[in-house]
Amino acid sequence: MTLASLTRDWEPMAYGFLDASAKREIRRKTLKAISVPGCQMPYASREVPMARGWGTGGLQVSCTLINPTTRIKVIDQGADDSVNAASIRRFLARVSGAPTTTDTLEADLIQSRHRIPEERLREDQVLVLQVPNPEPLRPVQPNMSIARQMHADADYGRMWLQLYEQIVRAGRVMQGASYPSLVNGRFVMTPSPIPRWDVPKLHMAKHLTLLSAGREKRLHAVPPFTKVEPLVFDDVPYKVEEHAHLMCHRSGLKGFFMNEIPQADGTSIHEVSDSDLGVKAIHRTEGAPVEIGATWYENGEMGQ
Amino acid sequence: MQTAPVPSDFETRTNATYDALMWALSRPGLIRDLPAPGVEGVIDALIDRECAVHAGTPDLCAYAAQTGAAIVPLAKADHVILPDAQTPAMLRDLRQGSDMHPEDGATLILIATLGTGQALRLTGPGVDGHIDVRVDGLTDGFWQMRRDVMRYPMGFEIFLIDGSRVMGLPRSTTVEVL
Repeated sequence: MTLASLTRDWEPMAYGFLDASAKREIRRKTLKAISVPGCQMPYASREVPMARGWGTGGLQVSCTLINPTTRIKVIDQGADDSVNAASIRRFLARVSGAPTTTDTLEADLIQSRHRIPEERLREDQVLVLQVPNPEPLRPVQPNMSIARQMHADADYGRMWLQLYEQIVRAGRVMQGASYPSLVNGRFVMTPSPIPRWDVPKLHMAKHLTLLSAGREKRLHAVPPFTKVEPLVFDDVPYKVEEHAHLMCHRSGLKGFFMNEIPQADGTSIHEVSDSDLGVKAIHRTEGAPVEIGATWYENGEMGQ
Repeated sequence: MQTAPVPSDFETRTNATYDALMWALSRPGLIRDLPAPGVEGVIDALIDRECAVHAGTPDLCAYAAQTGAAIVPLAKADHVILPDAQTPAMLRDLRQGSDMHPEDGATLILIATLGTGQALRLTGPGVDGHIDVRVDGLTDGFWQMRRDVMRYPMGFEIFLIDGSRVMGLPRSTTVEVL
């Protein structure tokens, strides 16, 4: 063994920003996360040039997966053009030379904050979700060591109690986003703060979903064709947001998840949350040849 | 205008290897292509000084040691690389993690022949319904023993490597011998 055999050639920077040992650690943990769907795997969570809590977990997973042919799409609450999405997309493109897109159909890797695109993802696509709080038990058990023991015991009684109390107090489940869901019949996970609208999209999906929390240093995964069942009581069915009847005032789309825009006169108008779908719909109305893929929801109903 | 960064050969190879391994575990039973034949590429992509490795041959031991990994007995290794599964009993010694920390389970990398031999039916996460595969080169009773020693979520992952082809079997997959 010589010194030369132990070192690598000089490089101006590590490709994809993370150094090789950081990538290997994320690779090892991601493989374990895929093998135990929904189980939170601790990982080192290296520094990236962005404040923790702004998508550093998702960014590290993306940096590990990326290569010069990976076409990347980054969304923030459905929008490709918000500050968080635009800066992460530019950063990923700069450190990897990878091409970018806003079109869900063209993307190989989709990093997302709090939404799943409305168009169905294919079995060669990877969805990376940024997770602020990976622990679904935190509202009922703030001590994370005890929470880990509860996951080990599949002791989710308090999750059910929390839902029951919400129904008793408010008449309905008040959990708007990050709805606790049972993965592969064993682990309850938080699907990151995606709206209830998006949770059924994870159930038996064709794509691979990786959920990574940089600040909390944990990642979990939902492999393709895996059961993801929101926690519900038999007699209180799971309800998604009532957006089926809303129409986007810009693109005319109906039956998708909408952003509400309050108006000065007290009313509100709506805009489709998946901005690229809206853009494509507008282009199509103007006569441009645009391909809109099959969507999860058809006429406001989740398809099979 | 900044110049686009160019990945080194090492980065390109390990990135492609990991991509194959990730999809192999995500879709058990579907065979993926590694960029180069052999397990050396897998060692490059996954193993470094944070790992404890048990390798079945002196060559592989030396290769793994060069990454800085500790060479340890089978029962203590987080990555076990074997040219063949000598006896099914060795599965009993593999690290399986704990209910609290399932990630401490081992990764078993075996050389096998894919596409011929024993017919298996796989079900579980990542499998659309069920998938039938054929695997040769493993000892009799291997799959029986795998089923008997693992209690989900504890367990170990298996990568079967045949030249530059790889098949993954996460602990969540149920294997039925046909």
